[in-house]
Amino acid sequence: MLRAIIDNLKGLYSLLVGLSITGRFLLSPQRTVHYPRQVVAPESLASFRGPLELVPSADDPAKTRCISCQMCVRACPDNCLKVVKGEGGKAPAVWVYDFSLCCLCAACVEACPASALRFSHKVYLTALTRDELKLDLLADLKARAAKAAGGADARPPAQPPAGLEPQARL
Amino acid sequence: MALSLAVFVQIIVAVLLVIGLMVGNAVVMVYVERKACGFIQRRPGPFEVGPRGLLQAVCDSMKLLGKQIFVPGNIDWPLHFLAPVVAFLPVLLLYLPIPFGPYLTSLQVDDGILLILAFAGLGAVSNILAGWSSNNKYGLLGAARAVAQSVAYEIPMIMALLAVIFMTGTMNLTTLVEGQGGWPWQWNIVRQPLACFIYVVCLVAETNRAPFDLPEAESELTAGFHTEYSGMGFALFFLSEYANMLLVSFVCAVFFLGGWRGPFLDGFWWTFAKAYAIMFFIVWIRWTFPRVRFDQLLNLNWKWLLPLSILNLWLTAVVVKLAN
Ligand code: SF4
Ligand code: SF4
Repeated sequence: MLRAIIDNLKGLYSLLVGLSITGRFLLSPQRTVHYPRQVVAPESLASFRGPLELVPSADDPAKTRCISCQMCVRACPDNCLKVVKGEGGKAPAVWVYDFSLCCLCAACVEACPASALRFSHKVYLTALTRDELKLDLLADLKARAAKAAGGADARPPAQPPAGLEPQARL
Repeated sequence: MALSLAVFVQIIVAVLLVIGLMVGNAVVMVYVERKACGFIQRRPGPFEVGPRGLLQAVCDSMKLLGKQIFVPGNIDWPLHFLAPVVAFLPVLLLYLPIPFGPYLTSLQVDDGILLILAFAGLGAVSNILAGWSSNNKYGLLGAARAVAQSVAYEIPMIMALLAVIFMTGTMNLTTLVEGQGGWPWQWNIVRQPLACFIYVVCLVAETNRAPFDLPEAESELTAGFHTEYSGMGFALFFLSEYANMLLVSFVCAVFFLGGWRGPFLDGFWWTFAKAYAIMFFIVWIRWTFPRVRFDQLLNLNWKWLLPLSILNLWLTAVVVKLAN
């Protein structure tokens, strides 16, 4: 009986603690941003898993490190990768990735013996049809290399809508 | 009291004002509730409709008004349409004896609190009707829970109020307020802290609010007894839920927090400020505590609140007897 009373008094105290926590949260600044007007700062996206991208090789940013070994294709539970080896050498000629099927499980990234795959941080990717989500990662790699070199023909990477300042706080 | 023409007109005016208060209260509370929820979860809450989302609740109610009334097959339709009305109408009556200010009382009744407690029981009836007539298992489960819950929690609630009535010797709400002073230490909450605590717990349970919102537990019963209601039927349930919340807050303000008496400038604004402070507290609890299990709910009532309220009542009786 006495035990039960003490337990319940402790319980009451814990309720007060809970109230004080939510009360503090009620008064402290918010952690979300109003998306169309504000966007999250790029540093905060470092852990965001967007669609896959190919890692450029050390000497040429337009060349992939992929050796067409098909490990990723086999590891993928959703069958969303297609890698075809090119003529002469190991470099792939086709590297197609269907983002609409991908579950972002990272099995391919871990399976790759050449560390040729990684997740991009594209938050603002949108598409109107499923076909638009079939991404040609070799073209994407070339576009990124061209952009890094200052080429004008670069396909722009996913960007926040124009005229938006990233929120510094986040 | 003879039902003269003057009293009749007074009641009509009062009922119209109360309807206005109920609707306004629901609109304001929906906004406050969603904003408070947002802030507690550290997000902005409704923001896009109107400046800072102020028009959100208005738009929501417009949407409810314009909705098609969808009725499932095999319902018990007289009861199905009766239930929201039974939920809504008694609340109008319940507001009549509340003394909002020194002169702002719809109807001076000597047994005001008796009237409120008697007719508040109709809320459970409307829940049963709604749950039973919907021909829906979630509705029926919600109704069964609603009845078990409101029957259980009415007892300690009445006992808590009874302790104050023993002490002051009146059931007239106006006299109750006049018996308390303006400053917080002259309020009944100081003399009856345990009764006030029990009342506040029962108030949350009686209005089916989280953490005691089992009759309409969204995650278990979709919406409990009002699962099958759409459009205006749902709106009436919603309206009466918020009106009930406001009513029990007013009763709490009158019984324990000195009603319209304040440190300066007595008036109805004090009643409203106190009642809305309690409303905000209810909202705050809702977004803080997880829902209890049904056995925990009943255990809390039968094993703790009921004995405590009996003890409190007994102590009050002894002290009153000795003091006399
Ligand atoms: S992340 Fe998973 S699902 Fe997506 S491509 Fe890699 S292995 Fe397939
Ligand atoms: S596992 Fe790596 S190296 Fe092998 S095909 Fe896939 S991406 Fe290329």
